[in-house]
Amino acid sequence: MSCIVVLFLYIFALSCYLYNIVVIFEIMKITLSINLGSWSFNIDEDAYSELKRYLKNLEIHFATEESSSEILSDIESRIAEIFRSKLTAYKQVITMEDVRFAISVLGTPEDLSNEETTSTREKFTSPGYHRMYRDPEHRIIGGVCAGMGAYWNAEPWLVRIIFFILAMMGGLGILIYLILYIVLPEAKTTAQKIEMKGEPVNIHNITEAVKNEFNSVRKNMNL
Amino acid sequence: MDLENTKAQMRKGILEYCILSVLSRSSCYASDIIKELKEAKVIVVEGTLYPLLTRQKNAGLLSYRWEESQQGPPRKYYELTKEGRDYLADLDNSWNELVESVNLIRTR
Repeated sequence: MSCIVVLFLYIFALSCYLYNIVVIFEIMKITLSINLGSWSFNIDEDAYSELKRYLKNLEIHFATEESSSEILSDIESRIAEIFRSKLTAYKQVITMEDVRFAISVLGTPEDLSNEETTSTREKFTSPGYHRMYRDPEHRIIGGVCAGMGAYWNAEPWLVRIIFFILAMMGGLGILIYLILYIVLPEAKTTAQKIEMKGEPVNIHNITEAVKNEFNSVRKNMNL
Repeated sequence: MDLENTKAQMRKGILEYCILSVLSRSSCYASDIIKELKEAKVIVVEGTLYPLLTRQKNAGLLSYRWEESQQGPPRKYYELTKEGRDYLADLDNSWNELVESVNLIRTR
């Protein structure tokens, strides 16, 4: 009995330790130095990957355009200008928030195709952002297994059985579960739920997901 | 019918006309044009402007020159070409006609 208590205390201590590491990483971010429209910026790593993804999507969006590289470099200069206005003597690094702001000002490829002058343009698809999340909708405990199942397109029960077996063998499964529970974010928004399944996030998919959700609610209520 | 969609369709047609009109007063750099268009509420997201400017430039309606800026890298200043001015004069006429036609129908 005392052995089990000690084991649980050990797991608890370890997960607290890991949680601290995660928190520290969130406080102390790595920054990169980039050249945007002939300006140099220090940018957080996560903000950088978001910006890169945005520019990549725009590149795909404008691919059919005659001078797409010129359009992109104009847009880059504009982003640089927006970033400049966000920097002060006390804030010298571009954060995720700044990148999101710039995107909201310039518009996502979806916004752009809504405002486009030519409607003949073919529907584009941006490359999907495949990420692991916790799936709160299909959860039994914390949604870790359901999220992993959605990520690998596997049956969540299969993942759960593997965890259960690992848990029986010296508690390793419980430990891994706790770590993943702490590390993985919960899929809250519709966009995140689509990312969880690795499908590209666009208007079409979001409408589809919302429709599905609506239908399942209707089914549950027997309407 | 989707109201937002109809509104967006209406805006689409006049956006090119508005860009040329802004540039007819003086040569501007992209952010100045954006500022005016935003104040007039003809664009929602700025990204719409850049492909239009490039298309108009490729069509010979606009030209641009690089101008040194005190705050940073050189900026692209757009201006109307001779062709652009003729094009705009044509659009001015058809805009007036359109307004007249719509008013005629609305006030009947």
